[in-house]
Amino acid sequence: MLEVIKAGLETSVQDYPGRRGYLNLGFPWSGAMDSWSFRLANILVGNEVGTAGFECQFIGPTMRFQCSTVIAVTGADMQAKLDGVAIPMWESVAVSSGQILEMTFARTGARGYLSVAGGIDCPEFLGSLATFHKAGIGGVERGAIKVGQQIRLGDGTGTAGRRVKASARPQIATDKSWQIEVVRGPNDDWIDEPGHARFLEAQWKLSSKSDRSGFRLEGPEWSFTHKALHKLPEHGSDPANIIDQGYPVGAINLAGQTPIILVSDGPSMGGFINPYTVPQCAFWKLGQSKPSERYLFKSISVDEAQQRARDITSLCNESSII
Amino acid sequence: MVYEEPRCSPGGDRFMLIEFGDELTLELNFFSQSLARATLEQKITGVIETAPCFSSLLLHYEPDDVSFFDLQREMLRLAESISEAGDVEVDSRLLYFPAVYLDPWTAAAMAEYREKINPAKDPDPEFITELNGLDNVNQFVRVHSGTEYWCAALGFWPGTPFLMPLDPRCKLTAPKYNPPRTFTPRGTIGMGGGSTAIYPVDGPGGYQIFARTPIPIWDAEQRLPEFADQLWLLQPTDRIKFIPCSVQEFEEIERKVEEGSYTMNITGYQKVSLNRYKIWADGLDLSSRF
Repeated sequence: MLEVIKAGLETSVQDYPGRRGYLNLGFPWSGAMDSWSFRLANILVGNEVGTAGFECQFIGPTMRFQCSTVIAVTGADMQAKLDGVAIPMWESVAVSSGQILEMTFARTGARGYLSVAGGIDCPEFLGSLATFHKAGIGGVERGAIKVGQQIRLGDGTGTAGRRVKASARPQIATDKSWQIEVVRGPNDDWIDEPGHARFLEAQWKLSSKSDRSGFRLEGPEWSFTHKALHKLPEHGSDPANIIDQGYPVGAINLAGQTPIILVSDGPSMGGFINPYTVPQCAFWKLGQSKPSERYLFKSISVDEAQQRARDITSLCNESSII
Repeated sequence: MVYEEPRCSPGGDRFMLIEFGDELTLELNFFSQSLARATLEQKITGVIETAPCFSSLLLHYEPDDVSFFDLQREMLRLAESISEAGDVEVDSRLLYFPAVYLDPWTAAAMAEYREKINPAKDPDPEFITELNGLDNVNQFVRVHSGTEYWCAALGFWPGTPFLMPLDPRCKLTAPKYNPPRTFTPRGTIGMGGGSTAIYPVDGPGGYQIFARTPIPIWDAEQRLPEFADQLWLLQPTDRIKFIPCSVQEFEEIERKVEEGSYTMNITGYQKVSLNRYKIWADGLDLSSRF
C-alpha cells in the first residue's frame, strides 16, 4: 500500500501499450505518453515493460509507502526525494515502510514516471489498467489519484542499484525546442504544396490548451487543394471538414486552422482532416514537451518511422541496465 | 462518388486509412463494416484493430508482422472479393429515443456561446432551416425527426454514435462550429456535415445543436439493465428513431433513468437489406419534404 499525501497535477496510473483494440467503440489507447521512459522504469524494478505505474504530469505527487519495496523514477526530472534526501533518477531505489517520496515540479521534461516493483493493483477495464481520466475509466477509482487515497501495490521483489546506461535514455531537450518526426497522410492531398511547405518550415508553438487528449499548435495558416474547397455539403463547408472518419493515434488533426495532435487520450473518429501523423517513435518527445515550447516537424517515410520505433524498443530491455 | 478502387493512405507507422468514396450512403457504410468484419474473420496478418466509419476503414496494424505495402495488397484483394458478394442483410435493432426539439438546454448552451465566443452566431435551428431551404423551424423538426437514423459507427468518445438519416428526403447538412463550443449538455442531439450525433456526456462540441434526449448512451454508473455488461448502449447497425416529446416528459424519463427504473423501447427482430433499401430509396421523390 501507499498513501497519497499530495496528488500532483493529474497523476494517473498508466500502462503500456494501453487499452488497444477498442477504437471502434470510441476508447482511446491511453497508456504512458513517453513509453520509452515508462518501459525503462519497469525494467529497473524487475517488472514486465508494460506493468502499470504512475505518470506524473508537470508536478509530481507526494506519497507515503506502507511497505518496503523498490521503486524507480524516470522521464522528466521532478526532483524526487525520499524522506527529504534526493534520490537518483534512472536507477532502482529501495524504499522502507513509512518513508515519504516527494516529487515536485518538472525541472526538465514534462512527465515523470514512477514504477514500483510488482506494479499497481487496481481493476482492469477492457484489458488495461490505464486511466482515461475524462471518461472516468481505468486507474485508481476511475481517475487521477487524489489526496488521502490508499493505493494497493502488486507483489514484486526488485533489486536496488540497477541503472539505465546513459546511451539508452531518451535525451530530453533543454533548449525548449524539439524536432518531431511526422509521416505524411492520411489526408495530405487536401493541403496544397505551399501549405505543406509552411507546415514543415515553421516553428510551431505548443499551446497551453493541451492535455493528454490533444496538443494544440500555434503557427502559420494552412492552404488547401481543390478537393478541400469543392466537395459535397455532407463533408461540412469548412475546407478542413471531411465526412467523419477514423483518426490514427498521433494524427495532426486540422480543426479549422488549428492543428491539434491527437495524443494518447484523443478522439478515435471525427470530421476533420489529418494531413500528417506523428509516429510512435516521436511520442516520447510529445510527452516530455511543455506548453510554449517549439516544434519543428521532419517528414519521414513509413519504413523509417517503423524502424525508429524498433530502435527504441531494442533499448527497452535488460541490455540497457548496468 | 464511389472510388473505382479503394484508396489506402498511411497514418504514421501503425495505421492505414482505406477510403471507399466521399459520400454518405448506406451502401458505403455497409461496405466499410463488411470489410472490417472480413478483416477480423479472415485474420488478416498484422491487423490489430479495425475502426470503420461512414465511408472509410481505419486499420491499426503491427509493422513487425506486416509491411504497409503487403497489407495494402491484401486489403485490396479482400475488398474486391467483398464487392462481388451481392446483397447484404444485417440484423438491426430499432431504438426509440424521446427527444425535446428546440429545447431550453441547448438554447442556453447557444446563448452562452454567443455571449462568450461569437455574438454573431445565428441560433442553430434557424440557421439549419435557412441553409436547407425549409419553410420554418417546425418543418426542420418534422424533417429531422421524420426518419430512422443508421448507426454507422461508434467513435470520437466511448459509445458515441455517428448517425445518418436513412430516408433521403430527410438529408440535411450543416457546417460545424468554428471555433467550437466549450459546453454542450449530455444528451444533446446535434449535426455537422451530413451526420447527426448524440453527446454522451457534458463537454465541448462542434455540431449545430437543437434537441436533447433523456436516454443515456453512456453510463459509468450502470443504472439501467442495458448497461449491466458494458458502459455504452449502441452498436453499429442499430437504428434510432427520435420521438419529439415535451420538457415535462423529458424530466419524467430522466428521473426514471436516474432511479434505474426506466424501460428502454428497443425492437429487436428486424433486418436491413441493402438491396431492398436501395430499391425503396431510389424510388422516392426527393423534391418533397415532410
